[in-house]
Amino acid sequence: MGKERKWRWKKTKPPRETKQEKEKMPISTDLKENEAILKERLGIGINFDVGVRTLRLLDRDLHLYFVTGLCDMEYVIELLKELMRLESNNREDRPDDVMETIENHLTHVQVEYKDTLDDCIVEVLSGLVFILVDGESRGIVIDVRNYPGRGPEEPDNEKVIRGARDGYTENIIESTALTRRRIRDERLRTEIMRIGDRSQTDVCLSYIDGIVDPEMVDIVRKELESIRIDGLPMAEKVVEEYIVDQGYTPFPLVRYTERPDVAAAHLLEGHILIIVDASPSVIITPTTLFHHVQHAEEYRQAPFIGTFIRWIRFFGIFASIFILPLWLLVVLEPQFLPDPFQYIGPSEDSNVSEFMQIFLAEIGIELLRLAAIHTPTPLATALGLVAALLIGEIAVEVGLFTSEVILYVALGAIGVFATPSYELGIAIKVMRLALLIAVVSFGSAGFVIATLIMFLLLVRLRVFNKPYLWPFLPFDAQSLWQIMVRTTVPSLRYRPRIVHPKDPIRQTSD
Amino acid sequence: MWSYHQRVASIGFFGGFIWSMVGYALFYLNFTSVGPALALDPWALPDWKKTYIGHLVGIIFLSILSIGVAFLYRYTLQKLSSIWPGVIFGVVLWGIVFYFFHPIFPSLKPVTELDADTIITTLSLYILYGVFIGYSISFEYEEMERSQS
Repeated sequence: MGKERKWRWKKTKPPRETKQEKEKMPISTDLKENEAILKERLGIGINFDVGVRTLRLLDRDLHLYFVTGLCDMEYVIELLKELMRLESNNREDRPDDVMETIENHLTHVQVEYKDTLDDCIVEVLSGLVFILVDGESRGIVIDVRNYPGRGPEEPDNEKVIRGARDGYTENIIESTALTRRRIRDERLRTEIMRIGDRSQTDVCLSYIDGIVDPEMVDIVRKELESIRIDGLPMAEKVVEEYIVDQGYTPFPLVRYTERPDVAAAHLLEGHILIIVDASPSVIITPTTLFHHVQHAEEYRQAPFIGTFIRWIRFFGIFASIFILPLWLLVVLEPQFLPDPFQYIGPSEDSNVSEFMQIFLAEIGIELLRLAAIHTPTPLATALGLVAALLIGEIAVEVGLFTSEVILYVALGAIGVFATPSYELGIAIKVMRLALLIAVVSFGSAGFVIATLIMFLLLVRLRVFNKPYLWPFLPFDAQSLWQIMVRTTVPSLRYRPRIVHPKDPIRQTSD
Repeated sequence: MWSYHQRVASIGFFGGFIWSMVGYALFYLNFTSVGPALALDPWALPDWKKTYIGHLVGIIFLSILSIGVAFLYRYTLQKLSSIWPGVIFGVVLWGIVFYFFHPIFPSLKPVTELDADTIITTLSLYILYGVFIGYSISFEYEEMERSQS
């Protein structure tokens, strides 16, 4: 491996199979033979949703295979009508090339020839219909897909006050369309591939040719193509684990978004999108830590306000990690407290040690959060009431918790909720717990050394060979400025260097 | 876009600035008994060098001094692309300041008499400082090589 490929490849990567492409079954010219094979393979007669419509057309037998529920029957009826009209119009005058005549009468935009039964089977199971004609060794596939699904709605966890309210949907075609609606560039590429030996899930690799680093696209494409799993029911999360080596890092290595405007902004910066069918979350890669602490809302406000929001959020995240362990440290070793802050620390004696209080409260909050995820809305109020009373009031009165512990634990929890990335929020929580354990075990030395080790581990982390803490470390003053301050858009002249854009200039100033 | 040397200079300056600020914060929280004002120790200055002004001036002085440190790294170790040379660089710098240059800091106690907290905290800071300068410069060097090839 060359110098560029320094990130660790997944150690447990399954051995790349050397098997050749499975021998594909050709289409026989004898329709009866095809019918028998398809009946067996598609389970026609056993499956209620796979069907075949037979027609007699131009003195030939014609079979149309379909899956109900995945294709739009209106179109199929339209196709059949036209074929029947073809039959009745040409009773005397039989055309020479039956196949071509049929193709010319298929009233649809996407019509394709296929040479093997395997291709036809995959297509029909994706919701297309295919036509086999007696005496022909080719099949015609017509895209009449219509998947059950919802319309584009605003994603729940990426709301903004102003701006676009559409979001990606479970339908990969709609998702790519939402992206293309924002970038009409002819160089926007949407490569599609099927992953999963059984599920045959559509995965789309999207980037802008001419901006993106071509080497990066090759790496991601290769990683995607080497996936040999039976299915991807958990969609983009499975793909993520294949393309980046997560290891035991709690930190999110790719960014997810359900907002087409966020995705389009990243495409224009030279990032790659991976859209997986049946999931509205889209992967943005490569990303660094600082991609996870930004939010679309900042770009919907004035630059000054955007910067203000961002600084408040940075402070919240920072406080969320360090305030609680520092407080525990000054409680355990009061000599660290600077004179102006002497009032900090529990004034009353508690029955439970401070560490146990914090630990229990943290676990409690985590439990409540988990519970809140799958509590139906009508019960959420009751849950909130229980939470507020249980932890806030009664625990103090009983003497289990001191009020100060609750204050600092709440501060930490708010920081987690203020993190735009849900995954990063949990990683922060884990870091805080690790620091707390270090403090209670080794005191101040534990605090300093644990912070140092965690920081160095983050520094060492690389995603697609991009340092995770860039632009803070490796330090890049100009790029860090863009992160510390939400600058005005007209002043953004360059694309971020970290993605190695082929065209680094975002806008020219004349 | 900045040139390589401009980047090295900025890495040095901000490396000195950021980590001496962190050092001041840790000094304020009593993690260490030496703050950024240590940098002013060799000079005979009025009493303000023992107050917060001394620390702030120390921060500025260290920031400027770090530009030189960054260029030292750039001319010696820039080709080593890992965090470990930076860690070792930091440890060596700490050794130089606390052992080798010890005589020029009248108020600094010998290492054997320093408390454990001070040693751990300052050593950690120097490691972070070394990694910051070392890793950043070797990354910039790689990037420069990459864009030239």
